[in-house]
Amino acid sequence: MRVPEDMRTPITSLLALVILAVLAQQAALAGDAKLALPNFQALESKASETVSITLDSSLIALAARWLDSDKPEDAAARRAIAGITGIYVRSFTFDSDFAYPQADVDSVRKQLSAPGWQQLVQVHSRKEHNDVDVYIRVDGNKANGLAIIASEPREFTIVNIVGAVDLQKLHELEGHFGIPPLDLTNKK
Amino acid sequence: MSSDLDKPLREALRAVEPPTGFAERLAARIEREPLRRRDWRPARRWAPQALAASVLVAALGMYGWQLQRERQGLEARQQLLEALRVTGQKLDLAYRGVKDAARPATAGDAGA
Amino acid sequence: MTDGAACSVCDSLARARAGDAAAFADLVRRHQRMVYSLALRMLADRHKAEDVAQEAFLQLHRKLARVQSGAHLLFWLRQVATRLAIDRLRREPRHESVPLEEDPGIASEPAAGDPLLQRHLRALIGELPPAARAVVLLRYQEDLEPVEIAEVLDMPVNTVKSHLKRSLASLRDRLGGTPGAAALPGDRQVP
Repeated sequence: MRVPEDMRTPITSLLALVILAVLAQQAALAGDAKLALPNFQALESKASETVSITLDSSLIALAARWLDSDKPEDAAARRAIAGITGIYVRSFTFDSDFAYPQADVDSVRKQLSAPGWQQLVQVHSRKEHNDVDVYIRVDGNKANGLAIIASEPREFTIVNIVGAVDLQKLHELEGHFGIPPLDLTNKK
Repeated sequence: MSSDLDKPLREALRAVEPPTGFAERLAARIEREPLRRRDWRPARRWAPQALAASVLVAALGMYGWQLQRERQGLEARQQLLEALRVTGQKLDLAYRGVKDAARPATAGDAGA
Repeated sequence: MTDGAACSVCDSLARARAGDAAAFADLVRRHQRMVYSLALRMLADRHKAEDVAQEAFLQLHRKLARVQSGAHLLFWLRQVATRLAIDRLRREPRHESVPLEEDPGIASEPAAGDPLLQRHLRALIGELPPAARAVVLLRYQEDLEPVEIAEVLDMPVNTVKSHLKRSLASLRDRLGGTPGAAALPGDRQVP
């Protein structure tokens, strides 16, 4: 169907607006899957050891190039990161029990109560004084984010994975990286 | 990645000298290069200092970039593996917690 | 490369960059065997191999200022030689090649090991796709590790390993399937 010339510009503009809106929504959704991690200055000042890893999509692609498929760990990593666009880890180790302030921890938990995030697993071990929360962010029927907050007596860790999180592939990490079989399909 | 073919392949692919006169024929080709390239050869008429310095910097940059890319790639790989290791550790914590919670409370239960 | 040899190359490189023709000729002499052999095994044709090898050195002559060390020179020549050869292969149909067995230059080299097997291997390598062929040559002629091959060919390490694995499997299969082919060490005797 030919569009009359005098209508083409408005239709083109409308189409552009619709496309922009969809892209913005997708960006917003992806952005929501990425947690706004504070700089954790308070934790860092008290920690004896800090691990801070920030891998965006370009660094993940660079890392993937150097994975050696002959090594089982590398091969498992390659499978696990397919579709992942960001991996963010902050981990702090302390010399004494529960030496870390809660304020920074709470600011991250607050973000996980936003729409889209679902708590998959919440574990509280009185015996070992561990708390582990695993959240997944779902868009439609696809997971596009994973967050883990682990509080142990002398260690606090946040992991945020952005992208097409595939629980099956996470499951396939078993045997590598010290991960035992994990069934997250039955929520407790 | 060793193989039963390693030794025969190395023997088969041993480097060989080019035919006699290779260097002379190459020299003749260099002589026939266009004049603008020949001007680069004599030491006294080499590129002006500033241009030579910038070419040197560019060359250093190019090779240095290749080394840097390898370093960055290997470092990114290390970081990725460490991130996955930490992720696995914390998922393991969750798993153990779920497993412990699912354990029957009293001994002798048939369990579900 | 020993320290002494490396210094000697650096010295020739510096003098060649300053326009010393004899120094450039020394660089050619030191590397012509490697460059020519890479081209020869890629193209399976003596004339084309010489043409590509000379082109590689011509490019070196034009771009000497970019080469900073003996190691860089080696890397650069390997990269240029394989790229030129691959480009040539892609431009020209394979059936124009002259069989290597007719090349007196090769026949005159004293051979260690089984010459029949070696000739057969070279022929089979000549039938591998260009990228796989380059990987095999850099591995077995130049003794490079997969990471180094990946840098020369600008391809992911895993692609290099994949090429190596598939090429070796293909060579093994084709050697095993050829009547009268020499048995490889460790080959099982099939009744």
